[in-house]
Amino acid sequence: MNRVTRIAIRILMGLALCCACMRGYCQDAKLQLDNLNKLSDKAARVTDVTLDGSLLQFAIGLIEKTDDGDEDIAQLKSIVKNLKGIYVKSFEFDEASQYSKADVESVRSQITARWTKIVQSIDKRNNEHDEIYVLKSGEHVAGVLILVAEPRELTVVNIVGDVPVEKIAALEHHFVPNEKESGKKQKKEKSHDED
Amino acid sequence: MHFSEDDLRAALKRKDPGEGFTQRVMARVEQARAEGKTKPVNGKSKNNGTFFAWWTLRPAWTFAVVALLLLGFAWGGYQYSEYRHREEIRQMAEKQRQMEEKQRQLQAEAEKAKEQAILALQIARSKLNHVLQQAQVPTGMERIRRQRL
Repeated sequence: MNRVTRIAIRILMGLALCCACMRGYCQDAKLQLDNLNKLSDKAARVTDVTLDGSLLQFAIGLIEKTDDGDEDIAQLKSIVKNLKGIYVKSFEFDEASQYSKADVESVRSQITARWTKIVQSIDKRNNEHDEIYVLKSGEHVAGVLILVAEPRELTVVNIVGDVPVEKIAALEHHFVPNEKESGKKQKKEKSHDED
Repeated sequence: MHFSEDDLRAALKRKDPGEGFTQRVMARVEQARAEGKTKPVNGKSKNNGTFFAWWTLRPAWTFAVVALLLLGFAWGGYQYSEYRHREEIRQMAEKQRQMEEKQRQLQAEAEKAKEQAILALQIARSKLNHVLQQAQVPTGMERIRRQRL
């Protein structure tokens, strides 16, 4: 085996290792939330969003096609452009204690040492337990987990990819483009009426 | 009637066929063969003769029939080519329709995915701000507001 072959093999092995690491990071960032599906029967309102792969790319493509004039839409575009998956499971119950600690623990148990807990809020008076975890990959964020466990509500948000948490938190309440457009139209109509 | 043994013996007694028996038999055979060959030929020629006689006697009719047949074939061929052309157009239109339908479905899926992404981000924003508020951490909006102030 000559020197060139040895170098080529080393480079290939390095690349394979990098790929494996990247794959490992992506898999770590995506948590298994399917075991919460059993709560759907008890919940009065269920919000289940699973967006990844081509479907998310479709959504990102459509959001990126939206008119760039608005500041919030521009912000929305900057949020979604590097996302690889969005998984939300939210259950609202009519009565308290409809879910067990084990249900929450099933999500929390998947948090490995690479995840960092950035915020934790425990409100014993209201029996509320909220946590935010971030998975970092070098300088970038590889995933975020928002866990909100209230007596009558359990919400788990898992976002995979380079998530700009600050930008998400700073989004306007009414950032849905369609609503904004309809709001603009209404404003225009009002101004026409005034004229 | 009663036959005696002598009568039978006399009747079955060997007789000489006479001279030229073989020639006579062969002549009969030849005659029969010749008749067998000529008879069906005669019958056939009679029928064919009737048919061919018809077109030899009425060539105008024959030409008319041939012309009609040719016209029929030409018309049939034209109709078939028209049918094929129509069929091709129909198939192309069907393919186009299917592609448009697929495009519409993809567009609808993309719209739905976009709405879901926005809903997910709304929930994420709401819960993120809720947790930050609970933990007394200034939220993004508050931070911006403070920076503006």
